[in-house]
Amino acid sequence: MSWQVVAYDLFSVLIYPGIIFLVALALFYQWVDRRVYARAQNRYGPHHTGPRGLLQPLADLIKLLAKEDIEPSAVDKMIFRAAPILLLTLVFTALFMVPISGTSAIVSFEGDLIFLIFIMTLFAILAFLAGWGSTNRFSLVGGMRAALQTLGYEVPLAVSLIGPAILAGTLSVSNIVAWQAAEGFWSILLNPLGFGIAIIGIIAIIEVVPFDIPEAETEIVAGWQTEFSGRKLGLLRLAHDLELVFVSGLVVALFLGGPTGPIPLIPGIIWFIIKTVIIVFIIGFIRAQFARFRIDQMVSGSWKYLVPLSILQIIILQLYLMI
Amino acid sequence: MDIVKWSRVKSPWVFHFNAGGCNGCDIELLAALNPKFDIERFGMILRGSPRHADVLLCTGTVTRQIRDRFKRIYDQVPEPKFVMAFGNCACSGGVFQKCYNVHEGIDKVVPVNMYVPGCPPRPQAIIDAAVKLLTALQQS
Repeated sequence: MSWQVVAYDLFSVLIYPGIIFLVALALFYQWVDRRVYARAQNRYGPHHTGPRGLLQPLADLIKLLAKEDIEPSAVDKMIFRAAPILLLTLVFTALFMVPISGTSAIVSFEGDLIFLIFIMTLFAILAFLAGWGSTNRFSLVGGMRAALQTLGYEVPLAVSLIGPAILAGTLSVSNIVAWQAAEGFWSILLNPLGFGIAIIGIIAIIEVVPFDIPEAETEIVAGWQTEFSGRKLGLLRLAHDLELVFVSGLVVALFLGGPTGPIPLIPGIIWFIIKTVIIVFIIGFIRAQFARFRIDQMVSGSWKYLVPLSILQIIILQLYLMI
Repeated sequence: MDIVKWSRVKSPWVFHFNAGGCNGCDIELLAALNPKFDIERFGMILRGSPRHADVLLCTGTVTRQIRDRFKRIYDQVPEPKFVMAFGNCACSGGVFQKCYNVHEGIDKVVPVNMYVPGCPPRPQAIIDAAVKLLTALQQS
């Protein structure tokens, strides 16, 4: 392998579209999310830090990284220290498989869609571990709820994400994007139900209202994040923002054609940002309109309504492919 | 410019603790978070857990019952931390001065950085107090 190839790989992993670019994007999406949420509530949201408040998430992150890091004496030290780092690593691993600047991602292989669904389950398992390791009653309840919520959203989300894969005849996210670019149409046209279910599922993954049951502030303080402070909390928040980039990027790649668009002159990254900001806007708007569901409502509702609807979507796709 | 100091000034997260008040101050505090005054403009968010907070915002005179719990909450806030005494009761005991069951004010139990008098103080007063606190922090 020549040094140019190594240098290019390092550049694409570390800088663009790798870690530094993704962190900047994550902070930007947190700002978009907070502004949309505030405007829907007739507020302004952060707008005194930097131009229009753009630097507010960065200020929060730096402040948390520089704060005292308290480790309560009762916590399980290994889990407590490892959880934020593991969560951040998992999100970066998942993000490397989402096409961001061109039709192919940094890492792609046949079957990486299944791998991504598996990683999304691990987010909830890590939340449960973090809650368990904190040995705090609020953290424990939050972790339990995070694990229980997985039972609700995981199956319909996985089935609805498989829809575009059936259409494209491949299980690789990059190949699905390439197929949509080649065919010249977005799979949301045949997958409207699947798109709706995927939006509901990703809201449950990133744990915001109406599915913020694991960190319900009015009931269980801050859920499984209660005991985390200082730089551990900063890393958790950064991981949460990166999850937002990841899930919106995944939905864009599968349903909305990924980083390609009708006007070929505009580069792929611009299309990616436009489409994902639309998804973040939808999530922020839903966050402002709804109240929190109870955990039993969430689980039974998703098994009663979302699972049959997602299977109906698959049946429709199969009928379309047979015609 | 010191970037850590800048970030501290720009994002003070608030934890709200009621140490035996009558809820008047708490309602004024919530008004400061709501659309009309919206202190999230300055980066202030209300957090549920003291482990996440920078500013401990206390209302009410400290009753003997809550004193130990209050001290424990104070210890749970990570450094650097600031305490804001909100309302007459929190500043000096207010109308409950010389009662048998209260400590007269927050500063008898934990060190206080900023006093906001009033019964209850207006939401503008909390913004004013926050600005003074952060200005002092910036100049330190």
